[in-house]
Amino acid sequence: MSSKPSSIPMIPSVSQSLDVSALPLPPEHMDASPRSNGFWGMAGFLVTDTVIFLLLLVANIYLRRYSHGPAQGALDPGTTIWFSLGLWASSGALVLADYFKKQAKVSGILYIVTAALGFVFLYGQAQEYIKLNAQGATVDADLFFTGFYTLTGLHGLHVAFGALALLVTGMLRFRGLLDGRREGFTAALGLYWHFVDAVWVVLFLLLYVWGGP
Amino acid sequence: MTTAPVPVETASAPISRPRNLTRWLSTTDHKDIGMMYLALGALFFLIGGVEVLIMRLQLARPGNTLLEATTYNEFFTLHGTTMIFLAVMPMLLGFSNYLLPLQIGAKDMAFPRLNAFGFWLTAFGGIVLYLSLLEGPPDAGWFAYAPLSERPFSSSLGTDFWAAALLMMGMGTTLTALNIIITTVRYRAVGMGLWKMPLFSWMVFVNSFIIAFALPSLSAALIMLEVDRALGGRFFQGGGSPVLWQHYFWLFGHPEVYIMVLPAWGIISEVIPVFSRKPIFGYEFVAGSTVAIAVLSFAVYAHHMFAVGFARPVNLAFAASTMLIAIPTGIKVTNWVATLWKGSIRMTVPMMYAIAFIVQFTFGGITGVSFAVLPIDWQLTDSYYVVAHFHYVLMGGTLFALLSGLHFYFPKMTGRMLSEGFGKPAFWMITLGFNGVFLVQHALGMMGMPRRVYTYPDLPGWGALNMFSTVSAFVLGLGLVLTLINIVISWRMGRIAGDNPWQAWTLEWATTSPPPRGNFVRLPPIKSSRPLWDLAHPEDPDHQRPTRHDQQGKGHIRPEEKGHEQ
Repeated sequence: MSSKPSSIPMIPSVSQSLDVSALPLPPEHMDASPRSNGFWGMAGFLVTDTVIFLLLLVANIYLRRYSHGPAQGALDPGTTIWFSLGLWASSGALVLADYFKKQAKVSGILYIVTAALGFVFLYGQAQEYIKLNAQGATVDADLFFTGFYTLTGLHGLHVAFGALALLVTGMLRFRGLLDGRREGFTAALGLYWHFVDAVWVVLFLLLYVWGGP
Repeated sequence: MTTAPVPVETASAPISRPRNLTRWLSTTDHKDIGMMYLALGALFFLIGGVEVLIMRLQLARPGNTLLEATTYNEFFTLHGTTMIFLAVMPMLLGFSNYLLPLQIGAKDMAFPRLNAFGFWLTAFGGIVLYLSLLEGPPDAGWFAYAPLSERPFSSSLGTDFWAAALLMMGMGTTLTALNIIITTVRYRAVGMGLWKMPLFSWMVFVNSFIIAFALPSLSAALIMLEVDRALGGRFFQGGGSPVLWQHYFWLFGHPEVYIMVLPAWGIISEVIPVFSRKPIFGYEFVAGSTVAIAVLSFAVYAHHMFAVGFARPVNLAFAASTMLIAIPTGIKVTNWVATLWKGSIRMTVPMMYAIAFIVQFTFGGITGVSFAVLPIDWQLTDSYYVVAHFHYVLMGGTLFALLSGLHFYFPKMTGRMLSEGFGKPAFWMITLGFNGVFLVQHALGMMGMPRRVYTYPDLPGWGALNMFSTVSAFVLGLGLVLTLINIVISWRMGRIAGDNPWQAWTLEWATTSPPPRGNFVRLPPIKSSRPLWDLAHPEDPDHQRPTRHDQQGKGHIRPEEKGHEQ
């Protein structure tokens, strides 16, 4: 709109448009790490995820002292430990899947094994929920179980997403469709799955084993 | 950055418009996404503004009957949520998205598709929030204190829509913040060390860490609230702890205040040196104090909860940390003023907004520190004094910085200048209007007027001050409409800007306006935080001068920068 000249006068020694086209081509950018963007992006995401799990855990530990229901006694760690061991074993399968990534068939099958162990864990969790609900240990039963279902449910969602992604990855790898360009994706997925397993170690210890404050 | 060379015609065209809608829906270019964030923020700012004008009409006279009590509750809940999550944050993320890659000499963000995903999550979050109008909007306030936000007290689905919307927007914002962190760490141009980054990039970088730790706290609280509301859980009701909601909410909520002001500080730190014709005073201190604020912002949160009745040592600890955080903030204000000192100041529209920012933000900061004094807080909490305080910081601070940034970067984004003929009257209307609305509210608060009430008795002075506030609100609104008209007209008919209309020295001004896809064809060598200055003055580059003061008592200013008549 303003047709009058700018209130800023030209400074004689500075040209309006600097001539950068005469400069040599620079190299691309600072590369701080040999790892892929996918890896670091996932690492950052998992930090934010850790905050969520941590706050939910703190809420559960703080509130379970005032719980007046069936509480922790209703849990059956003896059964859950077997499904947990399966989940933790899946991390080993995933390490092998990454190790054999040059052999598409072997690696693909190992990815699918990892995913299968995840689905088995989910089956165990569903069975556990059904049993607990039948015993009256529902979400609204007491303060312990509100936190228990929130934490294990959120973790179960993580397992479900991860297992689906691993299944797809396994099938693509098996058919040789995952090349080096997808390194960032597999690195991110690997990190995610190990994180989900590690979270379950903490949840199992604090919800099933530890008696609470 | 050097990629496939951009055809000259595309690179120098003043406006590269999208050809159709699908381009906007599918774009992953950080500049497009930045513009969409800005447009989204502006749209919701308009909606939130209309909401508040209706609220001000209701409050213009004592005992007014324009709005019912419940409707008024819905209005202030939507106004707060909209302004914070859908207006201010998207606009700040818009500037961050647009400018960060340009300032650090990158082609785009590290994750362009994730960037688009984050934007669309935010946009859908906004739609979900306003879909609640079909069901009965949320009315528990933007901080939704339990148990008021629980099913027995908020039985409509409005609060569930609210929680879902905030979860989506929170996730979108978190992903964008992670994107910014990875981009800043990995995609700085060669030569640009962390301590050579432009200050806006610095603030946005640090801000992203606050987002990455604060927003998950909101997500956790919202998940717990939904477990309560949808599954009958007991986190905050039925034996649970309503105060736990306050802890988790404010553990997010106070860092959120800094999330909303850090990028604003970044804009101010870019504008003031350019129009003082000096490098920023104390670059390291402006950048470093940001890190201190990021850490402290989590350590002060319970000063929102002094009325809860904590043990005395807890209250005192949070009072102390609240006073402490004023120090790094004060360092920044001091540095901006020191940059102005002996500068060759040019009173352009962005500079006028920046100076108003300093005055108003400092005032809001001082009323903020006053809350660290416990008896003052107990006296004034939940009164209009609080409303006045945080509007001085968030509106007199952040919004003025956004307007400053809008006028400053509009030429870069569109290739055309905003009109000063519109800009200056709009500035005065906005500034006088803003101070008229909120200055009197300090007095109202001290006279005892509680916030969040839909009407008030006709006590001496209350009616007059509220009427003054309402009239000022409409002056402010008209000023903003004038700014909008300025944008629309200047976009089509404004003066052609050229690459570097303000003679600024950071990298974003080295490329064309608007920048081509891929941003840069060539980059100048980067040896200091002002690479374009070094390029234009090979005889006197920044990195060969003392970084603090020169010893002649003349400050940083170079003689050749002074040459202008005013």
